[in-house]
Amino acid sequence: MAARREFRILGMTPGEIWRGFVSTTTGKIALAFFSIMVAFSIYALVALPPNFGNLWNTPSYWQANPKYAPPAWINFFAGDAYAPQMAVRDFNFTAGSSGGVGYAVIQFAVDDSYAQPWRNLYMMVRSPAVYNASTVAYLTVERPDGKTVQLGPVSVNSQFVALGLSPQIISQVSSFYQSNFGVQNAVPAGSSAIPYLFYTVRGGDLVPLKGTYRFTITMYSFSGNTVLNRKDLGVVLEGEVYGLMGTDFLGHDLWLGLLAGFPIDLAVGIITAAIVVTLAILIGIVAAFYGGLVDEVLTRITDFFILLPAFPLLIVFSVLFQWSIWDAIVFLAAVSWGGSARVIRAMVMQIKSSQFIESALAAGAGRGWILRNHILPMVMPYTLYLFVVNVPGGILTLSAINFFNLAGAELPTWGNILAYANEFGALTSGYWWWVVPPGLLITFVAVTFIFVAMGLEPVVNPRLRHA
Amino acid sequence: MGLLRTLAIRSVNLIIILFAVLFAISYALSGPAAQLLQTQIQLEARSLVSQLAKSGHYTPTQIQDLYNSIVQQLYKAYGLDQPAYIRVFYIIYNMLVFNWGYSYFPDVYGVASGKVSDIIASALPGTVLLDTFGILLSAFIGVQIGLRSALRYGSRVDRAVMYYGAVSNGLPQWWVGILMLLVFSFYLSTIRSPIYFPSGGILSPKYYSMWFASPLSVFTDPGALADLLWHFALPLATVLIANIGGWAYFARTVALNTAQEDFVTFAKMKGLPDGRITGRYILRPSAPAILTSILLGLPFIIFGGFIITEAVFRWWGLGYVYNLAIFAPTPDLPVIVALTYASTLLYIALVLVLEVLYIVLDPRIRSE
Repeated sequence: MAARREFRILGMTPGEIWRGFVSTTTGKIALAFFSIMVAFSIYALVALPPNFGNLWNTPSYWQANPKYAPPAWINFFAGDAYAPQMAVRDFNFTAGSSGGVGYAVIQFAVDDSYAQPWRNLYMMVRSPAVYNASTVAYLTVERPDGKTVQLGPVSVNSQFVALGLSPQIISQVSSFYQSNFGVQNAVPAGSSAIPYLFYTVRGGDLVPLKGTYRFTITMYSFSGNTVLNRKDLGVVLEGEVYGLMGTDFLGHDLWLGLLAGFPIDLAVGIITAAIVVTLAILIGIVAAFYGGLVDEVLTRITDFFILLPAFPLLIVFSVLFQWSIWDAIVFLAAVSWGGSARVIRAMVMQIKSSQFIESALAAGAGRGWILRNHILPMVMPYTLYLFVVNVPGGILTLSAINFFNLAGAELPTWGNILAYANEFGALTSGYWWWVVPPGLLITFVAVTFIFVAMGLEPVVNPRLRHA
Repeated sequence: MGLLRTLAIRSVNLIIILFAVLFAISYALSGPAAQLLQTQIQLEARSLVSQLAKSGHYTPTQIQDLYNSIVQQLYKAYGLDQPAYIRVFYIIYNMLVFNWGYSYFPDVYGVASGKVSDIIASALPGTVLLDTFGILLSAFIGVQIGLRSALRYGSRVDRAVMYYGAVSNGLPQWWVGILMLLVFSFYLSTIRSPIYFPSGGILSPKYYSMWFASPLSVFTDPGALADLLWHFALPLATVLIANIGGWAYFARTVALNTAQEDFVTFAKMKGLPDGRITGRYILRPSAPAILTSILLGLPFIIFGGFIITEAVFRWWGLGYVYNLAIFAPTPDLPVIVALTYASTLLYIALVLVLEVLYIVLDPRIRSE
């Protein structure tokens, strides 16, 4: 039995390649970035629901979130100035019924230590039986200064009840200020009344009143037999700041949107590069290997695709055919293999004219044998490098086309988030949290692949190995 | 003789590309886009007829006849009564003779006539200004940096240049533009800095008419020129930041490859002075490869990232018109299609000119 042939790529064993790759600084950075990227993509696939794309386009799913809210961690720098979004979970709940009227009492307390209190208060009702049952709610707020605000009754007739803008609540809050502080029309027309629950009057001005506020929401259901359950009810205080990455014009949680972008952008880059490299190998090898007329024709076709202005065509077809992101990827890949094919053809031509091929031919080797045993083993490692090199191009081009709201406007890609940021005035209003992270992530993913390619360069270009 | 033959082959290639693009967009237009046009015509005819019907002077059959004849005449006017293959040639013909029709939403562009050719012609100077100036300046600076860094291979500066080059290759130029606008336009004006930059546009509105009449006249009026430069600063800075790194990286790689050639080693063995080795034996032989890449790379760069960068800065160029046409109430098809054709035309003209230049400059191709 013959000794097992050692597996080598361009004269290096896989172990040597790996050690060479991680011994350089670039290789280490590339490896670190790559691991972070893969970790986020896996986390995104696991943590986000599979129908996240649909949820993203369902405005009602995000309606309890503040619009245009910066991330919550700016409080570190702003000295706890902004009240964060708060979904109240640990409330006391008692329910029952008497004389055909179902009732429920929800009690909770919040600590307000913010200069900018909550914007609004929402009641979420998850059971149609409740909001179809002529239910009303009363809200009592015990303030830290010992005063009590009584609000209601508010009719609970939909899944989502916003208290702040109801004219009744506004007038009740105004009359609270009128009777306690002698201030008229404390709540300006058109603004939410809820922030004014957290203010007091000092020297004629409204100033924030810090301390613990106790909320009691009492609900009555007048159509008989309606049982109010804890799990059917929720209370949300709309914050001035939201989550890790803030929100956009619809209240989308940008952290989730950015997270969802990881697998999409990675898929975009990888699919584009895979198609490009496959076409390039096929055409490059066939052209060089067969030569003659085949080569002439394929070289002309390659030149044609190298010169084709892909980006304007991508725009016009995306508009005319209303392409999805996957259509755009296939088109982009189908027109951008030219450069790689040219490189592979040149490589095969060089190998073909070398002396060991001549010797093999003289020894009676067939063309297929030479292709399998001499040409493919030398070309294949290089295609891995070509693959890595082609990924950033796909990601950058698709992000650019998404920035025009084309090809996949329905998905939360980073390019789309930026498109909406640009459209809804993030630049003229300074919503930095909406524009900085998506672009940074596009750059991060593209640069990761560029660094991987740089780390691989010494492997595919032996002249650089000992430089 | 060889020179002419090379040129002939390249031109034929480019013309084939032009026709392929033209055919592709015309074919697309004659298919799905024709459906859109048909429904639009029917809607228009119906609204016309329903107004007449309200006046009450016509019988229902008369109304129906009127509707049919309006639809038929409009179909004929748009060539929709012809079979698809004839329409394709009709569209190609119109494209070739620059008969690009009228925009659906002329108000969006602020060009009075609403003719697509006028809109595009007005946008061309802006593109030429930003792109040629931006690319050539960034290439010049980038190549200088790259060559200097290659000569100090392995130094801290060289590593910094290398990483900057790698990062700038993955940096979306248009996003850099967004950051520049955020910092130097929004934040500078928010903190009431005496110096801040405009949030976009090519000129202040009062100079628009001047620019539309003749862009060259802006350069002769000092006030207008200052205004143009003020608007030009951020887009130019964006282009430089995003592009210098790539050129530097490329020039550095070329110079390093040359430095490993045998003739450089031999020059060193002969004991030639260092200055002579770098000047004569490394930089000089690297020049053609770098120049080629700049020349042949120009069109790709212009019709890639620049389109979006112009849109970000609302810079009155082809890219911004693309942006307006896509986001107009509904996509403005005549403008988008004509823009694609115009870009292809411009691109091909540019490639041809640069290739001629290249062939004239590089003796190796001539002798082939």
